[in-house]
Amino acid sequence: MSDPPGTTKSVSQTNDELLSSLRPPTLAWYLLAFFLGAVVACGLAAFTWQMMNGMYVTGKNRPVMWGFYITGFVFWVGLSHSGTMVSSILRLSRANWRRPILRAAEAMTVFCITVAGLFPLIHLGRNWTFFYMIPYPNQRGLWPNFRSPLLWDMTAITSYIIGSSLFLYLGMLPDLAIARDRSTGWRHKMYTFLAMGWRGSAREWSVYHKASTLMAALIIPVAVSVHSIVAWDFAVTVVPGWHSTIFPPYFVIGAILSGVAAVITLMIIIRKIFHLEEYLTPLHFDNMGKLLLVISLLWTYAYFVEVQITWYAHEPIEWEVFSYLSSRYTPQLLIMLVGNSLLPIIFLCFRKMRRSIGVMLLLSLWVNVAMFIERFLIIVPTLSHKNMPFAWGSYSPSLVEILVNLAALAGFALLFTLFAKFFPIMAISDVRELEVREAKVPMGRTRLPSIAGKE
Amino acid sequence: MEILGIFRNCESAAKAVDDLVRAGFTENQVDSLTSVPYPDGVLVRTEVSSRFRWIALAGGLSGAVAGFALAAGTAWLYPVQTGDKPIITLYPTAIICFEVAMLFAIIGTMVGMFLDMGLPALGKRLYDPAIAEGCIGISLTIRVGGEVVHCPTETESGECIGAIAALSAAEQKKRAEEIMQAAGVLRVIEEELS
Repeated sequence: MSDPPGTTKSVSQTNDELLSSLRPPTLAWYLLAFFLGAVVACGLAAFTWQMMNGMYVTGKNRPVMWGFYITGFVFWVGLSHSGTMVSSILRLSRANWRRPILRAAEAMTVFCITVAGLFPLIHLGRNWTFFYMIPYPNQRGLWPNFRSPLLWDMTAITSYIIGSSLFLYLGMLPDLAIARDRSTGWRHKMYTFLAMGWRGSAREWSVYHKASTLMAALIIPVAVSVHSIVAWDFAVTVVPGWHSTIFPPYFVIGAILSGVAAVITLMIIIRKIFHLEEYLTPLHFDNMGKLLLVISLLWTYAYFVEVQITWYAHEPIEWEVFSYLSSRYTPQLLIMLVGNSLLPIIFLCFRKMRRSIGVMLLLSLWVNVAMFIERFLIIVPTLSHKNMPFAWGSYSPSLVEILVNLAALAGFALLFTLFAKFFPIMAISDVRELEVREAKVPMGRTRLPSIAGKE
Repeated sequence: MEILGIFRNCESAAKAVDDLVRAGFTENQVDSLTSVPYPDGVLVRTEVSSRFRWIALAGGLSGAVAGFALAAGTAWLYPVQTGDKPIITLYPTAIICFEVAMLFAIIGTMVGMFLDMGLPALGKRLYDPAIAEGCIGISLTIRVGGEVVHCPTETESGECIGAIAALSAAEQKKRAEEIMQAAGVLRVIEEELS
């Protein structure tokens, strides 16, 4: 078979390794899927309980009517942000190190936004009337009110789910053809259907590359708009602490921070489980670490600007909200600042730390815990003290809300686990393309790696 | 009619393409099938005129219109006057227009891409699973009936067009097989002559 000169591994071996996730499931895989399924079932039971008994089973009460569900919504939308963004930006900038990361990042986006989209529906209260948001006229000829930010969310999330799913599928097309050629039985039929007769002709590749580039360029503004719209859910209200022009960029930066951290976590898990150490090398963690460092610095700057202006203006209502936040939620605030700002900036300045898998795992997990807390701190303290003192209140999540949030996490993990079992988790053709382009060619008395192709 | 030669590596496949072109087949009759993309000219030259960008643009424009109809049009269908606020508001309409426009542009890109690629392929086409394992497929489309084809720019038309296009399909196929064999083809897969 055609092995790039200078490589020691055959194409078949490379394919075997990159498709190792498609091997028949082991007992451990079944146990993991069962465990995750059980957590999802618990969440569904809690949600059913909430539907049967009403919203009083949650911790929400006046004045805090947005709690853990909206925290979860903002958090998962944020996570979804980065997968496609990272993939698109690296595609457009033709960064070669992107190749082993693409698939996990793109799949993460699809599953995160799917999970995120469930939260507004869970939060509705009378969930069975969710179809009121679907744009068709009711019996009185009334259409949904598009002036409501809820409809903006609905439109943006629908666009993003469809767009990021198509982006994921587009990236997988050549790999589905490889999986088709190496599979039998029902899997072969499934891959044959999904590969749509892809043969890898020169014309197909040429169109594919141009379309991928256009798609990457189109999906970036959608990703930015989705999280900006989520930020507008807050910023267009006249609520102290929310009514701020910096909210959309601040949300987008926070989203990218949590998303990049989640991609790193997933890379480490995939690398370990599927033994892909050769493909996900310390170089990839080094580069992702640099990206995380830059985003963390940006987030720190945005947070500083937000707080500094509140502090300097000392506008009484805004200052009351911030004082309440920093006194009532001091430990959470510290975890957030340490996780989103202090630790990433300190650790990621050092190459050795960025290349340490253990450090990167702990750091990426902490960033996301801190980011969940950040979403909570944006929502709950503000609502608690937004009105006159006689209407102040507080909020603690109920078991139902905690279970639903845990189920969302388990649901995401389950979707990703199933995806990894049925679809190539590494972008095979992208990885192999780089190998071909870096193949060593004779030059004088030696052989040097060549990079062929347009840059 | 199409024949497909399977080659072990890029070099032998490129030699076959060169020899086929030298024998009088044109560049646009020869195509390569690979599991990774090769830069243009390594195996074959493609001059692909793609329409998908126009389809994406059309999708985006129709999406913007659909978004406007959804946000502004539906507000007009049942106008609810609230204070002195306008029935059609700029900000929400712009948001919905943008989102729907982008969605339609993305769908347009996908549809256009598949149209340009000629996918999904409904009929059976020549293929070999060894291509997924790194082999290179060189596909030759044989044109029958003395169809006039263009020569590559570096060759004179008299040297190539008449010689091949005037031959019958069976003779062209035999000639192509010989050339592929000489270049080191592993196997040749053919479509049945109708």
